[in-house]
Amino acid sequence: MTKLRNSLNARRARQETSLISFIMAGLPNPQLCLDCIKAIEQGGGDALELGVPFSDPLADGVVIERFHHRGINAGLNLKHSLDFADKVRQAVNIPLVLFAYYNPILQMGMEVLAQACQAVGIEALIVPDLPLDEIKQVHTDLEFIPMVAPSSPDERLDMAAAMNPSFIYCVSVRGVTGVRSLPEDEVKAYLQKLKPKTDAILALGFGISSPEQIKTFKNSADAVVVGSYLAQIMEEYESRPQLLPTQIEKAIAALKKPCAN
Amino acid sequence: MLPDARGYFGNYGGRFVPETLIPALLDIEECYRQLQHDPDFKSELNHYYKDYVGRATPLYFARRLTQSLGGARIYLKREDLNHTGSHKINNTLGQALLAKQMGKTRLIAETGAGQHGVATATAAAVMGMECTVYMGSKDIKRQRLNVFRMQLLGAEVKAVDKGSRTLKDATNEAFRDFIQSFAYSHMLIGSVVGPHPYPLIVRDFQSVIGQEVKQQFLDQEGQLPDYVLACVGGGSNAMGIFYPFLDNEVKLVGVEAGGRGIAPGEHCATLSLGTDGVLHGALSRLLQDENGQISDTHSVSAGLDYPGVGPEHAFLKQQKKVEYVNVTDEEAVRAFQCLSESEGIIPALESAHAVAYALKLAPTLDPSQSIVINLSGRGDKDVAEMIEYLGKNPSPSKGGQVND
Repeated sequence: MTKLRNSLNARRARQETSLISFIMAGLPNPQLCLDCIKAIEQGGGDALELGVPFSDPLADGVVIERFHHRGINAGLNLKHSLDFADKVRQAVNIPLVLFAYYNPILQMGMEVLAQACQAVGIEALIVPDLPLDEIKQVHTDLEFIPMVAPSSPDERLDMAAAMNPSFIYCVSVRGVTGVRSLPEDEVKAYLQKLKPKTDAILALGFGISSPEQIKTFKNSADAVVVGSYLAQIMEEYESRPQLLPTQIEKAIAALKKPCAN
Repeated sequence: MLPDARGYFGNYGGRFVPETLIPALLDIEECYRQLQHDPDFKSELNHYYKDYVGRATPLYFARRLTQSLGGARIYLKREDLNHTGSHKINNTLGQALLAKQMGKTRLIAETGAGQHGVATATAAAVMGMECTVYMGSKDIKRQRLNVFRMQLLGAEVKAVDKGSRTLKDATNEAFRDFIQSFAYSHMLIGSVVGPHPYPLIVRDFQSVIGQEVKQQFLDQEGQLPDYVLACVGGGSNAMGIFYPFLDNEVKLVGVEAGGRGIAPGEHCATLSLGTDGVLHGALSRLLQDENGQISDTHSVSAGLDYPGVGPEHAFLKQQKKVEYVNVTDEEAVRAFQCLSESEGIIPALESAHAVAYALKLAPTLDPSQSIVINLSGRGDKDVAEMIEYLGKNPSPSKGGQVND
């Protein structure tokens, strides 16, 4: 059992919703990013997805896309993200997941990446442009977190469930990442359809930004993922970097409140 | 028959998109499989090809060009004479009909030179559908004429002002729209790129070019040509003319954009200089750095300015069924002038790349041999760009001097 799986399952056992944060590795700069990650842990964040800058992030909305392009302009890549993950590992104790588009992984080689992830304590991998059938073709010991969506037909939900992952990333909308209001009935209906198929943690992501949303969905999902909302705060406070970590910590603490039993 | 059930041509192809989009792709595939052999669908498409597009397009013997080069006989497949001025309409009408059958009311397209955008806007107009076209802001500047044409046709043109500001990022944006709107929208991909089943569908709709050439050449010459040349960006006009010849003893040559030279960022010679990678939903050859970031590209021709290529081309290169070469901006512009002067045909800058290779190849061959060039589009859209490039004073090109 991994740290990631244990910690998410333990919270579910206590009927507590887990809060998973997404942050782009090393942006706006490595030190500030690290301070924000410490703030996430301080605020009560339960797991962390580290995003890898990619030139063509087609599953991402405008806010996260801007971070990708900034990463590209700063010359960042998968190797830098793994080096950065090593620093994160030394600074905080929360479980780490890598969120990377497929092409950089293909160039590095899956085995090289798997070893690097093990070395820096990354427990699992989310690849937004690798659908379930293509994941099945990749041979590695590193865990893949499958994604499903409200559009997923039953047999695709079954495929995700059969992977028995630490969690299933349940995309909330037919769309890309970004803060928005969510279609409550559709989201709940599909989570309820998936639930009996699996023991895996169901993590609801894309569009989560408020404690109210977490209240709405906490009985349907076991975890929520927050990403674009944090990126927005980072953009807003970038010119006042000394205030940024505190803002992040406050935001996480506020989101964490309705997560409690 | 390729692709296989998972959308692979050998090692290339597949479906590398967010899981959210998979149901949309499965629907398109299923609907296409049903309609592909449906006589009503075929006859409706043929009606549009004949009475709306003006097919079959002529296969024209370029007498003066042939004489001036003094080698192989050169024929031009006149896709430039299609309604909207390029081969792109063959695919957009086919996919628009498919989308209508699926109950979709809106078409989304990505465009580089604007030819595919215009062809999609046209199909949307004639079928009574809504249309949104994504176009890089750099391309909008160099293809202003096509932007206005799309707007005239009732399409919404959305400028994409990020990343490369060309076709690559316009395609990302079109995908993002499609992920959100596929309940009522069809993404009408304009080349043999993208996730399965697009490379298959676009190839099939464009194959009408090669089928016609085969029949027309047999009628005129009683045999098959020795060479068939086509420019390759994403590769749809090339796939369309090559496909019916794959099992024949015909040398097929794809001509890529060599731009300003082989330095990274200066060309779009994906098959000559690229490596395996995943972009826009397929595993194919790509121009990228060693860390898997997609490279910037350059070509004088907006329609070839793209770092990827269709997976079936990657496969055909690997299988050595097609040879891929590249010509520079300068050679393409010279060919653009040469064909204009020698035959009175102003080619699209994209197609001028295929002409440029023919200018080099023909003199090395015997007059008993023959070359068919896919003249995939006409060059009206490029005139403004060429005024800039040629310093507003087009002088006679050396290759185009014809002594009668």
